[in-house]
Amino acid sequence: MQKRMIVALALFYVVVPVLLNGNNYILSLLVSSLIVAGMAVSWALLGNLGGMVSFGHAAFFGIGGYASALLVTKLGLPVMVAIPAGGVAAVLASVFMLPALRLSGPYFALAILAYAHIFKILATEFSSLTGGSAGLSSIPGLPDIFGFNLSSRLGAYFVVLSLVLMFCWVYGRIRRSDYGTALRAMHDSEDATRVVGVNSLMLKSWMLFVSAFMGGLIGAFNAHVINFLEPDYAFNSAWSVLPIVAAIFGGYRTVYGPAIGAVVIYLVDQLVFKEIMSTGHQLILGAVLAGMILFAPDGLMRLFKRKPQEARNAHT
Amino acid sequence: MLTLENVTVRFGGLTAVKDVSFSMGTDQVLGLVGPNGAGKTTLFNAISGLVRPGGGRVMFNGVDLTRKPLHSRAHHGLGRTFQIPQPMHELTVRENLLVAQRFGAGKVDHKRLDEIMDFMDLGDQADRNAATELALQELKRLEVAKAMATEPRMLLLDEVLAGLETNGKRHFTARLQDMHKRFKIGILIIEHDIETVSSLCHRVVVLNFGEILADGTPDAVFRDPEVVRSYTGGGEDA
Ligand SMILES: Nc1ncnc2c1ncn2[C@@H]1O[C@H](COP(=O)(O)OP(=O)(O)O)[C@@H](O)[C@H]1O
Ligand SMILES: [Mg+2]
Repeated sequence: MQKRMIVALALFYVVVPVLLNGNNYILSLLVSSLIVAGMAVSWALLGNLGGMVSFGHAAFFGIGGYASALLVTKLGLPVMVAIPAGGVAAVLASVFMLPALRLSGPYFALAILAYAHIFKILATEFSSLTGGSAGLSSIPGLPDIFGFNLSSRLGAYFVVLSLVLMFCWVYGRIRRSDYGTALRAMHDSEDATRVVGVNSLMLKSWMLFVSAFMGGLIGAFNAHVINFLEPDYAFNSAWSVLPIVAAIFGGYRTVYGPAIGAVVIYLVDQLVFKEIMSTGHQLILGAVLAGMILFAPDGLMRLFKRKPQEARNAHT
Repeated sequence: MLTLENVTVRFGGLTAVKDVSFSMGTDQVLGLVGPNGAGKTTLFNAISGLVRPGGGRVMFNGVDLTRKPLHSRAHHGLGRTFQIPQPMHELTVRENLLVAQRFGAGKVDHKRLDEIMDFMDLGDQADRNAATELALQELKRLEVAKAMATEPRMLLLDEVLAGLETNGKRHFTARLQDMHKRFKIGILIIEHDIETVSSLCHRVVVLNFGEILADGTPDAVFRDPEVVRSYTGGGEDA
């Protein structure tokens, strides 16, 4: 396990950059795919641990982006401070979503969808601050650190890769903790879990906050990579839908599945499907997803998973 | 000390629990009896926070629990079991107890968990999936073990002895008595079998159509002609 981790890290941090250095097109695609990966982890954490399916993660992505961009352009905050602040802004916004936690499954999903729409309208209407539907342009990029230019394609790749790996690590830690066990118990037996003293509403709220923070952070990072925001882009439903597709494709019940699913789907779509069909290539993606749900509903990672006993032995 | 003051629960037009008042200390084992549909489980639900009483108060050790959320009862030292066992799904027996201990008692003590599992004869089941790999009687023991893991001062047991044959019932009854004495836990138990109630309980409260029909020592209560009538007339299976 440990050894596999080291090999993977060496691959991501050394081999990929060395092979791709200079190939800015592929590096850009990788950065974009990792942005979707971050959203997919954020979505899967709320879905798998919190037991809540969100149709509106674009809200966190958009809020994080706008908050960070405005903090830098209007208040002059350094970019590397504004990006985590974008995560905090998404958490603050998620506080307004807390009443929706009492709703069950599909109603929660729709409530979050509505919230995302409200924030998009706010971003359009508060034009004195947000630039309205024209949006914000010339958002400053990532800075230099120790002489290394983070705003280069390679720099952005390292930053977003580290963010996604950190998200996975946090997700795994929570899942293995006592909180994770209690959250797992809550899915099918909420009363039985509450009666022994678990404050289920508080645990779910925390999962919403952590998920919102991740989504906001990724949205903020993205704003400083593309240097431009408009409501239709920042709150685009693609930021809600792509993570779901990726997480289901990769296996939303696993820790790394959603991230891997995002990278695979995004790259295959851009490099293969787009070559075959320059317009409407998403159709192929839709068909693949439908096939996945029909034939391997637990996702891609399940196919690689060892038998349960072996997996259990490997833990000790 | 658990004190109920005029507790009333209504479901639409049906008054399942009506003006129920009584007090009991943690030094007592109290039997709650009455025909099916008398409102015993509903009264447990009102005490433990699964239903909001339409009227009255539930006090425990001087704290008014009536409007407190479900999960907080465990923190005040009130535990309960479910008539139809409700194991926490996806978890093993040990994980069930671990969650109860961690979040109910606020600490993790694996030695104590082993002790509880042994006490409830669940030691061999520790790593089994609670929802799918246990027999009904094991599930009932898990109910008690989970409640114990929250380190309660008072336990509400809903028909945990039902369905056991005579020997099993004696064995389990002895365990409960032992638990009451050793860990100083007050017990409020719903049980139909008169012999068991008589041997286990200091006191019996009889519920009929949601109201208290009698309250006293087992001897006195089970000789009360009105109680005998409600028992024989209520389509009782005990
Ligand atoms: N959630 C509920 N909704 C409507 N009626 C209920 C509900 N729970 C219990 N009842 C009714 O309340 C009465 C008391 O039920 P219960 O407390 O389960 O009785 P007991 O445990 O004494 O057998 C019954 O008539 C039952 O049908
Ligand atoms: Mg009952």
